[in-house]
Amino acid sequence: MTVEIPYGVQERPDTGLWNAKLGMWLFLASEVMLFGGLFASYATLRTYAPDWPKGSDFQNIPLGTFNTAVLITSSITMVMGWASLVMGQFGKFRLYMGLTLLLGVLFLGIKATEYRGKFEHYGVTLADGTVVTGHVESQDASRVVLLPDAKGGAAHEPMTLARSQIKRMIVFGPWYNTYLALYFTLTGLHALHLLAGVLVNLYLWGPGSRMWQREPERFTHRVECAGLFWHFVDLVWIFLFPILYLL
Amino acid sequence: MSIKAVHLLFITLATLLALGFGVWCVQFQPAGNRALYVGLGAVSFAAAAGLVAYGVWFIRKLKREGML
Amino acid sequence: MGFWRHYVFSTDHKMIGLQYLFTGLVFLLFGFSLMMLMRWQLAYPGKALPLIGSWFGESRMPGGVMLPEFYNQLGAMHGTIMVFLAVVPIAFGAFGNFVVPLQIGAPDMAFPKLNAASYWTYFVGGLIMFASFFVPGGAANSGWTSYAPLADIATMGQTVWLFGMVWLITSSLLGSVNLITTVVQCRAPGMTWMRLPFFVWTQLVTGFLLLLAFPPLESAAVMQLMDRLAGTSFFLPSGLVISGQMLKATAGGPDLLVGGGSPLLWQHLFWFLAHPEVYVLVLPAMGVVTEIIANNTRRPIMGYRALVFSAFAVGFMSFLVWAHHMYLTGMGTTMSTFFQTTTVIISIPSMVIMAMLVLSLWGGSIRFNTPMLFALAFLPMFGLGGLTGLPLAFGITDTYLHDTYYVIGHFHYVVAPGTIFAIFAGVYYWFPKASGRMMDETLGKVHFWGTLVCMNVIFFPMFIQGMAGISRRWYDGGATYDLAKNYLHLNAWMSWGAWVMALVQVAFIVNFFWSMKRGRKVSDNPWQATTLEWATPSPPPHGNFPAMPTVYRGAYEYSAPDCAEDFLPQHQPPASATMGATT
Repeated sequence: MTVEIPYGVQERPDTGLWNAKLGMWLFLASEVMLFGGLFASYATLRTYAPDWPKGSDFQNIPLGTFNTAVLITSSITMVMGWASLVMGQFGKFRLYMGLTLLLGVLFLGIKATEYRGKFEHYGVTLADGTVVTGHVESQDASRVVLLPDAKGGAAHEPMTLARSQIKRMIVFGPWYNTYLALYFTLTGLHALHLLAGVLVNLYLWGPGSRMWQREPERFTHRVECAGLFWHFVDLVWIFLFPILYLL
Repeated sequence: MSIKAVHLLFITLATLLALGFGVWCVQFQPAGNRALYVGLGAVSFAAAAGLVAYGVWFIRKLKREGML
Repeated sequence: MGFWRHYVFSTDHKMIGLQYLFTGLVFLLFGFSLMMLMRWQLAYPGKALPLIGSWFGESRMPGGVMLPEFYNQLGAMHGTIMVFLAVVPIAFGAFGNFVVPLQIGAPDMAFPKLNAASYWTYFVGGLIMFASFFVPGGAANSGWTSYAPLADIATMGQTVWLFGMVWLITSSLLGSVNLITTVVQCRAPGMTWMRLPFFVWTQLVTGFLLLLAFPPLESAAVMQLMDRLAGTSFFLPSGLVISGQMLKATAGGPDLLVGGGSPLLWQHLFWFLAHPEVYVLVLPAMGVVTEIIANNTRRPIMGYRALVFSAFAVGFMSFLVWAHHMYLTGMGTTMSTFFQTTTVIISIPSMVIMAMLVLSLWGGSIRFNTPMLFALAFLPMFGLGGLTGLPLAFGITDTYLHDTYYVIGHFHYVVAPGTIFAIFAGVYYWFPKASGRMMDETLGKVHFWGTLVCMNVIFFPMFIQGMAGISRRWYDGGATYDLAKNYLHLNAWMSWGAWVMALVQVAFIVNFFWSMKRGRKVSDNPWQATTLEWATPSPPPHGNFPAMPTVYRGAYEYSAPDCAEDFLPQHQPPASATMGATT
């Protein structure tokens, strides 16, 4: 026995809303507060820090820019998918939603590459106090072969460092400094949101799309809600990219 | 607010980001590889123009389809 | 429908409300039991707890004598359980779920499956919190506020606490989205905004508080988890020395802690949630009390519009007062001045609500039944809690009173004889709607008077101890401190008050279960009330209303002139309309 809830599909005349749209907006309001708390923490920690590294010291800017473009494009395909449903073109919806999915997965893939890069990257303090940062090419019990980061376009060749020369060697994990701690926390939470969006979109593209046959209007509403969430996640990235990569 | 308005807001902010990134590439780029960043900046300015054009096309399309 | 579908995996808002109520009441008793154990240590420090002392094992109470570590666990978990697992789930989850759809004339909540999900995430969060007592090192022991850096370096129980909180925050997020959508979208025809019962307004404002105040705590919890598990230093300052040693990172090997974090950042994020949380505890209580006072004075509530606007003013202002918990942290006098001002401003709408409720008694013909007694007692008890908050609102007096038992007394007057009295009032008042039977009045009165006396015996001496300067953090209740020696005898009084109050609760528990099966059967509207929840059978069927009700008037039309009875239900058509229908 199911109870018919009013305004599940139709708009309520005096509020101009159907239930799920209001629910999604309320959810997004709370998401704004969630990321707002983290952005505020970023501002606080950075304001009180004696020095702050440049994002470009840690990030591959062209790759990050490409990823930003991927995400912006995915928002466009998402809204096209929804518009196709409104115009009754289910085939085009499948195409656009499929593209959105691919772009989402591509973003996560590039993100994973960036993460892996961080975990192959070390800050090495040598016995004489100098700090070298770079990728580890190979290492064994007695020595480390480090490819130092290119600074100022200088040619760079692998350095072979004996273990005895090395005072301290830390990978670029979240514990490296507060900048990287924020980077991993913010982008990690963002990636989890994007993953959730991909799963929802996958459902709406695959098994969930059967609803189109029975209740086209309700299905269009569902896609609109998923689209609102997708736009929100992309919007967060538009703020994350400059504060973590550029500033 | 429907997804149409959100999308337009999103495109506006994406345009601003593209412009800002373009300026960053030309003015504040990290040391070294100047050619790469100038190129990126040019692409970014082009992307900003493209996004504006897309936004206009999107509004026109909504009007044409009677969805606005 | 089978047993499992009906009682366990139900999507009916009434059953979910009852699930919240039962789970919440169990946690209320559990949280109270933790405090009763602590009260033994405070009254008789270092003495072995007779009879049950040996049950807790050598790691907690060797020879029946409580270890300081276990005392700290009890304190932290008492606060956590009472606030997040007992009072909010009952006031918002249980009453909000059960009563709001009925009062607005909706067949169910807007998202029934989400509603069930919200209960089950709460349930899992509760299980995680309970299980944290059994991990190595015991449950969280850094206070319910989990202040950094103490919590960052605490035992494993703190990690479990953080995971538990993530579940509870998710639950309240789902619940608040659902409730707000329901109130906005599912009101019956004719139920305009200004015809809503005040209880619905308070739930709506509460929904917004939960929706917007909890996420910053979730971000703080994520950062504390990173500090504890990934070796970051969000809340760890540079050069932290613990037991004569520089602190090392928990992950990534020795010598890696970067420091540079801000312990104050945790406090800001925590209190950004936890001050609105106080109003999450209080607003639904005010709503329940309003319903019961209107019904039992048999007159319209005083200043309905003023109540509604005040509830909104309280809700809005509650986001701007959080740092009045932090005057002594060194955040600066400019900040303190701002937060002192906002704190005084928020007391105005709260006072308007209290004044309206007291004035509503004037000229009423009062029925002194059990729910009304609890509702009436709420007024002076909550009033005392509010008034004792004033010295804490000003930095200059707070400097002295901060972290003393005065603060504990103040907060508990607001929540224990305040909100919990409103919860009891609500249980007695809506019991006939949920079961079709009345709770016993004699047992109810025993429960009321016993609880009222005990509450005051427990909490009033705290003001005296606090003004004498006794700190809330002392594990022996002050026995080793010279300044406390003239006030130590009060500890035993307070403890016996708590233990006798536990006995008095037996009257409630017996009454509750006995009345479910054997209580006096009553009609659909035994209190002769006006609001919509009484316009449907008791207990209401799935889908609530046999036919969609139409609302014709405001929520509190009691003793209207030219009316045969002293109440005019919201759904009763106007006299002219009935005549039109009959002729």
